[in-house]
Amino acid sequence: MNKTIKIISLIFIILATTSSGLILAAQGGKAKPEIKLSFDHFYDQAELTSALKQLQAAYPELMELISIGKSYQGRDIWAAIINNKATGPAERKPGFYIDGNIHGNEIQGTEVALYTIYYLLKNSGKLEFVDRLLSDRAFYIVPTMNPDSRDYFLHLASDSNSPRSGLVPYDDDRDGLMDEDGPDDLDKDGHISYMRKRDPRGNYRVSPENPMVMIPCRPGEKGEFIFLGSEGIDNDGDGLVNEDGPGGYDMNRNFGFNWQPNYVQRGSGPYPFSWPETKAIRDFIMGHPNIMGAQTFHNYGGMILRGPGAKNLGETLPPDRQVYDFIGKKGEIILPGYRYIVIYKDMYTVYGGSLDFFYNLLGIFTFSNELDFDQYVGTMPAERRRSSEEDEDSSARRRFGPVGNLEEIIYHQLVLMGEQLVEWKPYKHPLYGDIEIGGVKKMGRRVPALFKLAETCHRNAAFCLYHADQLPRLSFEEVKVKKLASGLFQIDLTVGNQQVTPSISALAVQKKLHRPDFLKVKGRAKIVSAGILTDRFRELTEPVKVRQDYLIVENGLPGFSYVDLRLLIEGSGDINLIYDSLKGGYLEKKISLK
Amino acid sequence: MSRLKLIRVFSLLILSFFIFSVPLFCGQTANYQSQAEIGQSLKKLAGKYPNLCQLSSIGKSHGGLDIYLLEIAGSRNKIKPEDRQSVLVVANSEGVHLPGTEAALGLAETILSAYGKDNYWTDFLNKRTIYIIPLLNPEAASAYFSSPRVERTYNGRPVDEDNDGLIDEDGPEDLNADGLITMMRVKSPEGRWIADPQEPRLMRLADPKKGEKGEYLLYIEGYDNDSDGEINEDGPGGVEINRNFPHDFEYYNKRSGLYPASEPETQAILKFMFDHNNLAAVINFSTENNLLNMQQTGRARAGADRVRVPRRYATFLGLEPDADYSLREIAEAMKSSGMVGEVEIDENLVATFLGLGPAMTLDRSDQAIYLEFQKEYRDGLKEAGLDYLEKRARGVGRGSFSAFCYYQYGVPVFSFDLWQIPELKGEKKESLTSDRIKSMSSDEFLAMGEEKIAAFLKEQGAPPNLTAGMVIKMFQSGQMTPARMAEMLEKMPGAVGGIEKDNPEAYLLNYSDTVLKGKGFVDWKAFNHPDLGQVEIGGFIPHLKQVPPTDQLKNSLEFHIQFSQKLMQKLPVLSVKETKTEKLGTGLYRVTIYLQNEGWLPTSLAQGRRSLAAYPIRASLKLSEQQKLFAGSPVEMIPVLQAGESQKLQWTVQAKKGSNLEVKIWSNRINPVAVLINLD
Repeated sequence: MNKTIKIISLIFIILATTSSGLILAAQGGKAKPEIKLSFDHFYDQAELTSALKQLQAAYPELMELISIGKSYQGRDIWAAIINNKATGPAERKPGFYIDGNIHGNEIQGTEVALYTIYYLLKNSGKLEFVDRLLSDRAFYIVPTMNPDSRDYFLHLASDSNSPRSGLVPYDDDRDGLMDEDGPDDLDKDGHISYMRKRDPRGNYRVSPENPMVMIPCRPGEKGEFIFLGSEGIDNDGDGLVNEDGPGGYDMNRNFGFNWQPNYVQRGSGPYPFSWPETKAIRDFIMGHPNIMGAQTFHNYGGMILRGPGAKNLGETLPPDRQVYDFIGKKGEIILPGYRYIVIYKDMYTVYGGSLDFFYNLLGIFTFSNELDFDQYVGTMPAERRRSSEEDEDSSARRRFGPVGNLEEIIYHQLVLMGEQLVEWKPYKHPLYGDIEIGGVKKMGRRVPALFKLAETCHRNAAFCLYHADQLPRLSFEEVKVKKLASGLFQIDLTVGNQQVTPSISALAVQKKLHRPDFLKVKGRAKIVSAGILTDRFRELTEPVKVRQDYLIVENGLPGFSYVDLRLLIEGSGDINLIYDSLKGGYLEKKISLK
Repeated sequence: MSRLKLIRVFSLLILSFFIFSVPLFCGQTANYQSQAEIGQSLKKLAGKYPNLCQLSSIGKSHGGLDIYLLEIAGSRNKIKPEDRQSVLVVANSEGVHLPGTEAALGLAETILSAYGKDNYWTDFLNKRTIYIIPLLNPEAASAYFSSPRVERTYNGRPVDEDNDGLIDEDGPEDLNADGLITMMRVKSPEGRWIADPQEPRLMRLADPKKGEKGEYLLYIEGYDNDSDGEINEDGPGGVEINRNFPHDFEYYNKRSGLYPASEPETQAILKFMFDHNNLAAVINFSTENNLLNMQQTGRARAGADRVRVPRRYATFLGLEPDADYSLREIAEAMKSSGMVGEVEIDENLVATFLGLGPAMTLDRSDQAIYLEFQKEYRDGLKEAGLDYLEKRARGVGRGSFSAFCYYQYGVPVFSFDLWQIPELKGEKKESLTSDRIKSMSSDEFLAMGEEKIAAFLKEQGAPPNLTAGMVIKMFQSGQMTPARMAEMLEKMPGAVGGIEKDNPEAYLLNYSDTVLKGKGFVDWKAFNHPDLGQVEIGGFIPHLKQVPPTDQLKNSLEFHIQFSQKLMQKLPVLSVKETKTEKLGTGLYRVTIYLQNEGWLPTSLAQGRRSLAAYPIRASLKLSEQQKLFAGSPVEMIPVLQAGESQKLQWTVQAKKGSNLEVKIWSNRINPVAVLINLD
């Protein structure tokens, strides 16, 4: 009787807890606001902030939102930390880092980063792939690291190339004054366009095919216009126009590896991490040493870049190169048209870039994508392009035309209905007199057309998630305990890595960039001796460094591989084996010494 | 000990006591000063000259110690001190160079006390600013004053030196409680060191070729705190500030830091220097002496002036991929290709584009200037009776402050080490060196006889099969000359070389024994070590090489303070020598001005121009509404004026008769000049 009561009450308790759990879950589900973000426009800092806050409020168990510092003008630099806390703290999982928009005018990286956050959160509990990532990786995502120039670009008169810099005042022309002669929106249309002046001795003429297009004159051809550069006046009266605009440096040359001064690397800044934004990124990424993979976003040209940025560094070590190649070549499939290339060899020299700092000093595998192509590429009929390429001379002339080539202008007229064009209009310039102002608006170049933005976001997010999935995934594959004598045990265990990324990069091993992996023993036990089994059949071992309760696995776990360890342990009872890798994750397993 | 000797020692003791207690400079005792005491001294000084001094801090060390800055300027209300041509004096970036701090403070005091008394310095301080940072690396310096005392050049940043995940877990300990961290020697089958048979207090590596067997392992005094089998492999701190600067920075060396300017001390001074972009010269008291040793940090990168263009660019630019071009030629080709649009192409951009890297040697024209300073400095040392051992002068180090000053800040920098352990009389032994052999004729060599020749060969580490008899035969047949022989021996492995065949530390011991009366060396004494068993503790005391008793330093300080003052008198000075106005017609004037550099130094170093850090001179015309420029440019740029060089500038202006025309002449590191020209 007594027993029956007990059982019944037990069932009741179980029922009660389960049902209350169900109710809570249902309430939680109702309370969770449905977040819908759209990727058919660009987010300014205020809208980005609000989107991030909404996401965080909707997914508090998965997302943390922190400000990692303030920009020069005092805007927050936001970082989202995405991780399923129920499966362990973020710092015990391999980390994946993303940043965008280091160059103020290269804005779409922010949307890609935001989309990646959104995608991970929206698909949690729905997609097995996403759930696995959230359970054994941590994401550190900084949608914009240059919010000052982002807002400048989006809200103030500018063109597609500026401001690339941050907005700390800078003396570009070395006259003791800062930012005193930037471009001016003379016609107050909200855009920095180009200036031209009608002049029979000019070196440009209007294309016979399209009146918007200007082409350089051939020798002997009569000119119609002088090209006068970007819209502006000589604000400081030094005889030069627009020679000292906002900012004037390049934050992606300000990182502390292979850094070179301004005369070797233009725009590098006075010394590494001299700007508030680069400093914030440095502190954030160095504050999370579990980060093992990283992606930065730029525009444009459709490239998946890896280091080294300069020839003096020499090629990347072969084992690490294999990791880069494995992931980079997959990227070419995920991102049609993008080429996986090496910066110094296939592009140009970059000293002090962030990706070299991440890989060479922090041991983080890093790619940098140049997002998107010229807007008209792939949106115009192939026939039209081919025929224009036949005439090499006119093709070259179009290509270097200052205002936009024929195909580009036709695209703008036919596909975007002229939305991003400024038709040539007369203006009275204080110096040049009667001129015309016109050209392509900032959103007509370098960024994707809005109808293509979502594709850019999704495919690049997919590349990030692929890379994140390829971070080390470690497991105890086999553990055997053998009693040798009373209180003395031999433990043979295999730790495996299922993914391509090693738990320590080959470079980090060589240069001792961070601590090695540890195998720890927790409980009433002491490691007497240990070794790595180099030959399973002959049972040859190579000794490793042993401390009281842990041993050191110097080389970590290479990609798609395993390590066989043999330990001699003095102890008794249940003990825990812990594989603790700074960047490769954290494993724990209970075994019995008997 | 004889009576006479006792008296001598006694009187010396009294003498040294006397010298030690005499203030070197006002308010300071002759003992070296800790960071806190320096703060006090500076406060006193600033209090004594309130109209000239402003005391502040440019930042804090890693562990939070202030890095003091004394700003010295007269007539502060007339021109802001930060708007003037300035000189920066920095000391003790290495932490062990305590004499440097004394020199910096002494220099400050000397100039301050001259204000109002000496016309030159009164005028100097009314027009210019002197910034003094007497202790750049306070944390490392504090090790001199700590107990136990330890020689330390790095700050307090925690660094995992042995990469085991633990930080600063195994530092040195003062096992014998003598207040000093010295060495331990322990007999071991793995030992490679022996007690030098000539002087058993000194250790040297055993030479197995001479049949010597290693006996000892050497350690720094301390325990194996973390039981990892290594001793003192991960002590407290840190990064060496004088290796943390961004020119030729040594990556992957934990002592230089993870990356350039990773340390708060480095950042503080760099920020200060870029915020004060008018520093025209730097005087740096450190263990380097860049006037006596002009060796630079790295090897010259040969052929940087004529380079090859990679094929993929060459075809675009219309250049031959196999030919050599100057940077200018490539720049021209890039410009004319039209590929680069509106970007301005100069040689620096080409160098970047081709990945040629930074300058690594003194520019030839700058070197000529340094050589002149070197001569003046050498003569000065001689005149002051300072017996300076040039062979021990250290050149500019990688990532050092002085390398940054020249290569990146582009400014003349003078580093003085102030003191070296002196060469003691009678130290040199008469021995045959390969240098001496070189100057002999064959006959002279043969005249030494077989026995002496055999001894010489053995000393030089010649292989045993090269007997004296063989050598004599070779000389007699003319196959060999003394010069060739010496050369051959120098190239052989194990060659001792002619100059210092004594134990390289012999001079230190000699100095300790004689000048310091043995105080510079702790005699080896047995100690029972818990990790190593029976060891001996002893060796040279910390700071022996860099910090002499202050009486040793006095003359050198006086000389270097004077010499620093001389350097300050050589700054470039712009002046308008003459202005001319010609009336060309009604309301049309031609204005000519002659601008001259009246200083000794050029208005900028060649490296200053290359590094873009020293700006060109801008002569700009300020036209009023009614004035119009007819000929000439509103801003004339003059890249440089050498010492005494003049530049003629001319404009033709349309203006009202009797109106004024203003010309402003400006560059970032020279005092500006403005002239008002009356058009009449």
